[in-house]
Amino acid sequence: MLLAVCFTLATSLQLREAKRNNPIQSNNVFKLLLGEGRRLFAHEFYVMADVYFHSGYYPSIFDKQENQPAVMAAVRGESDNDEDTTNVDFFGAPKDWIDTFGWKFRLDQHTHLSNGEEREILPWLQLAADMDPQMVQTYTVAAFWLRTSLHNPKEAEAFLREGLRNNPDNCEILFELGRLYNEDYHDANRARNVWLAALRYWRAQSDDAQKSVENKRLCDAILVDLAYLEENAGNWLQAIEYFKMAKPMSPNPDAIQKRIDEARQKLAEQPPAINTPPH
Amino acid sequence: MDAILRTENLCVEYRTHGLRLEITPALKELNLSVRAGEVFGFLGPNGAGKTTTINVLLGFIPPTSGTAYLFGIDVRQPIARQRIGYLPEMTYYYKFLTGEELLRFYAKIFGLPRLEADKRIDEVLKLVELEQARKHFIKTYSKGMQQRVGLAQALINDPDLLILDEPTSGLDPLGRMKVREIIQRLKNEGKTVFFSSHELGEVETVCDRVAIIDQGGLKAVGRVSDLVARHGTNLEKAFLDIIGYQPQSTP
Amino acid sequence: MNTIWALAGVVIKELYRRKDFYVLFVLTAVITIAAGMVHFFNDPQIVNYLKAVCVLLISISALIITIVMAARQLPAERESRTIFPLLAKPVTRAQVILGKFFGCWLASGIALLFFYFFFAVVIGTHEQSWPILNYLQSFWLQWAMLGVVTAMVLLGSVIFTAPSSNVTICFIVIVGILLLGRHLNVVALHHSEPLRGVIYTIYFLIPHLEWFDVRDRLTYNWPLAPWMDCMLATLYAAAYAGLFLLLTWLGFRRKSL
Repeated sequence: MLLAVCFTLATSLQLREAKRNNPIQSNNVFKLLLGEGRRLFAHEFYVMADVYFHSGYYPSIFDKQENQPAVMAAVRGESDNDEDTTNVDFFGAPKDWIDTFGWKFRLDQHTHLSNGEEREILPWLQLAADMDPQMVQTYTVAAFWLRTSLHNPKEAEAFLREGLRNNPDNCEILFELGRLYNEDYHDANRARNVWLAALRYWRAQSDDAQKSVENKRLCDAILVDLAYLEENAGNWLQAIEYFKMAKPMSPNPDAIQKRIDEARQKLAEQPPAINTPPH
Repeated sequence: MDAILRTENLCVEYRTHGLRLEITPALKELNLSVRAGEVFGFLGPNGAGKTTTINVLLGFIPPTSGTAYLFGIDVRQPIARQRIGYLPEMTYYYKFLTGEELLRFYAKIFGLPRLEADKRIDEVLKLVELEQARKHFIKTYSKGMQQRVGLAQALINDPDLLILDEPTSGLDPLGRMKVREIIQRLKNEGKTVFFSSHELGEVETVCDRVAIIDQGGLKAVGRVSDLVARHGTNLEKAFLDIIGYQPQSTP
Repeated sequence: MNTIWALAGVVIKELYRRKDFYVLFVLTAVITIAAGMVHFFNDPQIVNYLKAVCVLLISISALIITIVMAARQLPAERESRTIFPLLAKPVTRAQVILGKFFGCWLASGIALLFFYFFFAVVIGTHEQSWPILNYLQSFWLQWAMLGVVTAMVLLGSVIFTAPSSNVTICFIVIVGILLLGRHLNVVALHHSEPLRGVIYTIYFLIPHLEWFDVRDRLTYNWPLAPWMDCMLATLYAAAYAGLFLLLTWLGFRRKSL
């Protein structure tokens, strides 16, 4: 199976390139070969990206199931066993001498890739996207690392646009694209347009979809970033409107209210001629 | 003269586990003795126990009871086989080796030093006329060539006792003649040869003594001329008489 | 010892005269080189995925070569009747087993060396670094593991009649140990007696081959494992290999040819 997957991946490059040049083509070779089973592979590749991000220090399904209480205790700092604290993070204390000796050869420190090493997760994200083009988080996560740690906004933009082609009107991808325009290209107008488009598509979703916690967080993020954008441009009234829209969605409404108050104060300090009416 | 090969009340029983345990006697209190320097023929119809006897002598199977000795050493000791050469009936060797590599391998097992092994390999290859094919893989050898390389490996350690199981099996008349010549030559060198064969004509020609075995038991042993004088006009008639073969009368 | 090394030499010759090794090596090389030619996001510095692919292929190929070669030894000797001229020499059955074991183990080590050399060259050209000690440690531990595997498969060849059955069963057992061996104690906790006792017994009896699988250390550029622990692991592997060889001898000496 591994050989079949590798061979298929090796031959998929031309298809990807062709698709890039001719976006009308929508044949996915993995869909042809694997059917819906490709989504399983996509999920596994996405998990592999996380494994690589942790430099291989990652729990198996047995460790997750067994040590969830221990993991949470470690997070809260309530771990009792000081001797093997390196292992308590994901895995719990060793249970016997075999387990203890086995740890001599296994990766035993919880680390994250940094200083450009995050590039190592990218192949798995790309493979995940190839396997399941509708898996949106592969595009947003890859774009995030490409533009922040790897300083490669062009590739990030290209990957996000590929994600948009496969997932038209997707709010998350649009949001990430807006952040790229704002933070990397410093193009406030493009960022504003993209975020407004994201907000439009978000509002076009069903009521039930809008009520989910993740969706509300996304809307909150879009509105807050729009508000900051308007703040930076000196459009205080517009910024206040965005903050007001974000407040019911936010998990931290007090902080939002504080920003509204600050913006109102800034607005009050400004001469009347500078204030532009909200749109 | 001490016997180089000796069996004392040798018994072998094969046990087969079917619906009930079945015991098949393959050898029944076999007493054999082969003297140094003689060519000894071991005859018998199919299933008589010839191969079983050879298997016991070579340590392939343990006897159920009784003992067998080579050079006075119990056959169950590996050292008993240090001075023997064995040519099996079916000659199969490692097909991925060349003839020379095979002989070098067996020379190493006998502990021959490198120089001595090289000399010995040249000698035996010349004897069996395989010098031209020494670098060829055994999988390319014909049946006759495989038999000859088998003979070569049996002679690699310059053995004092040669045990041959159907040495001319599958050979053309020329090949059979060459094997007879080699056996005669070994006899002239004072070696002992113990071989089983169905080719009674050959046995009559080269053997000093023969033993005839049937249904696991020793029926006759002695000089060929004595057996022929006692039982028939030639060895074949003597053989048939000894094993009790009665021809069916025609109506 | 001459006899054992002579037998081992024949096994090694068999390895490089059969096609198995070359086929697997070429397959590994082709897949690795093809994977290496891909540039994700036009970044030529991405290399860990290539290491992962290559070491995985090396592990699989080494296991296949070792298992298939070891499974073939004793049955092929019996089937082709080469065992008879062999045992007609002053050779004991124990020497035959030891000779086959050392031959298979050395042959698998030679194959592994070639694979690791290829790995070092390919990854070195990408990374521009050659952590030789890391490669050596990984090679040594993997080779020690293959010693246990060889002995286990030789034992299987005495128990199972057909080499194909031996190969299949041993492959399943070995892959099972590699993937699940270290988790059996956790699995046992989720069951009640007597199943818990059975799983625990299996957990403590099986050779923990996963100790020797340090692919992750190579892939993620972790530092070396302590050498003292490597030595202890090697002794552990030697003990298990010795036990399997002893059981093989006990089975083989009673077996009819």
